[in-house]
Amino acid sequence: MPPLITERAADRIAVLLAKHGEELARHIRRMVRDDDAAQDILQDTLIRAHGALARLPSGANTRAWLYRIATNGSLNHLRSRSRERAALERHAAERDTAAEPETETRTGDLDPDRETLWANVARLPERQRLALTLRIVDELDYAEIASRLGGSAAAARANVYQATKKLRRGVSRR
Amino acid sequence: MITERVEAERRAVEHIVLGAFGELTGRRSAPLRYAMMDDTPVGVLGLASGARGLRHLSYVKDEDEFLRRLLAEHGDVPVLRTAALDDVRRALERYFAGRRLDFDIAVDLSDLPTFQRRVLDATARIPAGRVATYSEVAARAGSPRASRAAGNALHVNPVAIVVPCHRVLRADGSLGGYGGGVRIKEWLLAHEGARPATL
Repeated sequence: MPPLITERAADRIAVLLAKHGEELARHIRRMVRDDDAAQDILQDTLIRAHGALARLPSGANTRAWLYRIATNGSLNHLRSRSRERAALERHAAERDTAAEPETETRTGDLDPDRETLWANVARLPERQRLALTLRIVDELDYAEIASRLGGSAAAARANVYQATKKLRRGVSRR
Repeated sequence: MITERVEAERRAVEHIVLGAFGELTGRRSAPLRYAMMDDTPVGVLGLASGARGLRHLSYVKDEDEFLRRLLAEHGDVPVLRTAALDDVRRALERYFAGRRLDFDIAVDLSDLPTFQRRVLDATARIPAGRVATYSEVAARAGSPRASRAAGNALHVNPVAIVVPCHRVLRADGSLGGYGGGVRIKEWLLAHEGARPATL
């Protein structure tokens, strides 16, 4: 079987992991609250990042772009988990075994309010979505958000403000 | 306790990153952590430590060059940037400020061949403000006639400044070579008061 990634690719991924691995892992883990899933999403982020690295214009903000892939990967995971949970619940209702403990443990760490929140976050425009997750998940101040996503602290604050306003309205408009 | 939560998160995050390192790059040994010191009187320095102590203190152009060097030299080791390495950083800051010229931080040379390690151990015992010759260091390393080999061993010293290979000179008192460049060797010796500042 050929290796999953070539040696040179492994070196480039090692550079990304060395420089950004821990901050990305912390960000993803805080979003998905599941260590195994976090490792999967981190790995996926790096494989995607490395695949697109050559296409990234020189001088582009690599860190911002890694956060974008990681955040979107985490949101996709949360979304598919909430779909999985809905399917499990339908299944349980059909069989009328809603109290089955296995279902409980599989979904025990999921909080429906939190899922709705994330589903709404996923629908925000990208800059607002990223700024907001760094603010509420990583608890960063606006200067730190700007250093990760590029742009100014004032722009980060404006994005978080817009995102919060939309979430309060339930993101009724896209 | 907040500190316990922070510590638990730190460990979980490290576990995730090391897991990804193993899966994607095959690097599964104990990790090296590195940090940069960007504006020292002798330029940009790269520091890297393992669990048993400092393993690299190098003169580098920038972070990317240092990182590539670490990854190339340690083929099976995950390498992680860290904000820490505070003890090393503080010791170097004290050194550059002239407040304390000797180092008492753990250095890990266990990877190196025996002779090189002996030469570096002997060099580490030369106090600040003093110098020795290549043949004196060779003799203290147990091989009095190996002064050329001692010079080579010092030239590839992985832990500059802390293992003070800049304190080793030629028998005629001339400077000899230095990995970071002879001007830096001169600066360090003048800083330690071992030689009058020239220029």
